[in-house]
Amino acid sequence: MSKKQPPLRAGMEGYFLLAPALIVYLLFAVYPMIDVIRMSFSSWNGLSPEARFVGLGNYRAILTQDPVFWGALWNTIWWTALAVVIPNLVSFGLALALNQNLPGRSSLRVVFYLPVIIASIAVATIWKWMYDPFFGLFNGLLMGWGLDGLIVDWLGDRKFALWSVFVAHVWQAVGFSMVLFLAGLQSVSITLIEAARIDGAGRWGVFRYVTLPALGPTITIVFVLSLINSLKAFDIVYGMTGGGPAQSTQMLAMWAYTQSMQLGVFGRGAAVSVVLLLITLVIVIPYMRWMFRREEMGK
Amino acid sequence: MKIFAQAFRPIGSNKVDPVLVALWISLILIAIIWIAPFVFIVFTSLKSTAEVMSSSAFSLPEEFAFTNFTSAWQRGNFSTTAFNGIVITVVKVPLGLFISAMAAYALAKVPMRMNKALFALFVFGTMLPFQVMLAPIFRQVNAFGLINTYPGIILPYLAFGIPYQVFILYGFFAAVPKELSEAARIDGASHFTVFRRIFLPVSLPVLSALLILDFVATWNEFAMALVILQDPDMWTLPLGLMNFQGQFSRNYGELNAAIIMTVLPAAIVYLMFQRYFVSGLTTGAVKE
Repeated sequence: MSKKQPPLRAGMEGYFLLAPALIVYLLFAVYPMIDVIRMSFSSWNGLSPEARFVGLGNYRAILTQDPVFWGALWNTIWWTALAVVIPNLVSFGLALALNQNLPGRSSLRVVFYLPVIIASIAVATIWKWMYDPFFGLFNGLLMGWGLDGLIVDWLGDRKFALWSVFVAHVWQAVGFSMVLFLAGLQSVSITLIEAARIDGAGRWGVFRYVTLPALGPTITIVFVLSLINSLKAFDIVYGMTGGGPAQSTQMLAMWAYTQSMQLGVFGRGAAVSVVLLLITLVIVIPYMRWMFRREEMGK
Repeated sequence: MKIFAQAFRPIGSNKVDPVLVALWISLILIAIIWIAPFVFIVFTSLKSTAEVMSSSAFSLPEEFAFTNFTSAWQRGNFSTTAFNGIVITVVKVPLGLFISAMAAYALAKVPMRMNKALFALFVFGTMLPFQVMLAPIFRQVNAFGLINTYPGIILPYLAFGIPYQVFILYGFFAAVPKELSEAARIDGASHFTVFRRIFLPVSLPVLSALLILDFVATWNEFAMALVILQDPDMWTLPLGLMNFQGQFSRNYGELNAAIIMTVLPAAIVYLMFQRYFVSGLTTGAVKE
């Protein structure tokens, strides 16, 4: 008897091990993605047995007739641009500070990370309560300091609502990137830092020529992850404003949901989803190629 | 104090650096801002509605109104939502990890025709945002007749959790040296046996990290549950809290008690298993 396993049998066993995960993944993640593309070319109200093919009708409708779509797209872009920059700058600063020899570092890390593990819908509820126009924290503090003139209906005023939701997002998001940056910082070689010091580099020199270049990959990862996370912003908006007032905080992910699941125009909702998926893919595909190249180079 | 004895000194220096002291003070101030919402929530949860309206935000409650918790528990139907959350989490998390680990083993260690392509298919899924396709997920679950059922929510949770776990475990399994498994294979052990006896035990630290991350993510998930669990008897805690906020938003003490009861389990798990969170996040994203 040969000691070598017959390759066919070994391969078969591999497929058996793979099957459960692959089937569930294909049925409930990949198929819905295909379905949403198909649905975006049809008209369906959620009740009738058959969807009707309408070609590009839904796309034409959302781009030309939908009074909310462009506002939601703009808000999504605004949100994404800010969410990629502001919380990550805070995270980066915190990580740099927490990487120094300071007392109580681990407790401080816990404090900044705690909001990350709290359900987004609870974060929304917490902040909605803090923004309460009458008894909330913010207006209470302003009143206490004699700044009654600055009192605002934070979530009820179109001018402030999106900013107010964004601040809550910053509070929740900072800890996540902070942990990634800290991990990146810990991999920066101490010998390299010491060598730079001996060569006369100051604090800024070490940061600019040693730390920052070493953090390159981490920065890319944080950038892409927060980009994707912002595009799918849903829970916190749903929980705080539901897209209001007057659609001023509406975003694409929620608008797709609202059209399909609440207004019963599945085709239009699907078209919005496809637009958002396309935006996501434009970011994801180059990122994945970069990751695979890195993986190959590591070998 | 003892903890300050070595602090504020940069690497390779014995002198206290004033810049580090200033940095530390600003960190403490930011931390106070970060913790303030929690303090505010806890204080409010212990006040009566009348006291919330009359007292200032950070004043201590005059009498601790613990009744807020008991009545929020009842009105918010927490016994139902907590039970559903436990059932879904206890089934989904270990099951998902097990089938992901099997798949990762097959992709990493069993020579098959399409290892690379299949792995890429899973990696693609790590970036697929389900929040964007809630309606088609609803349609698919509905096609199986599983709306308002445990399997109806568990299956899509599995589908969107598998890619990340496969991705992480693949990297880990691929790095396990061949010698460890080949001896067993030559002795005639099946791949499943090698997986169960050798690979599962050696990957215990990674598995624990993924388990805890996934526990918190599943416990907190809202958007998918919103479309699939429409019957209040099937709601999970986040759905219950959302509804509570809509119905009793002027009952401040109870609302804040409800918030605390919703977030407490995840917070406790985090505080107990902190180091796993860090390793679970960073093994995936940041490789040395």
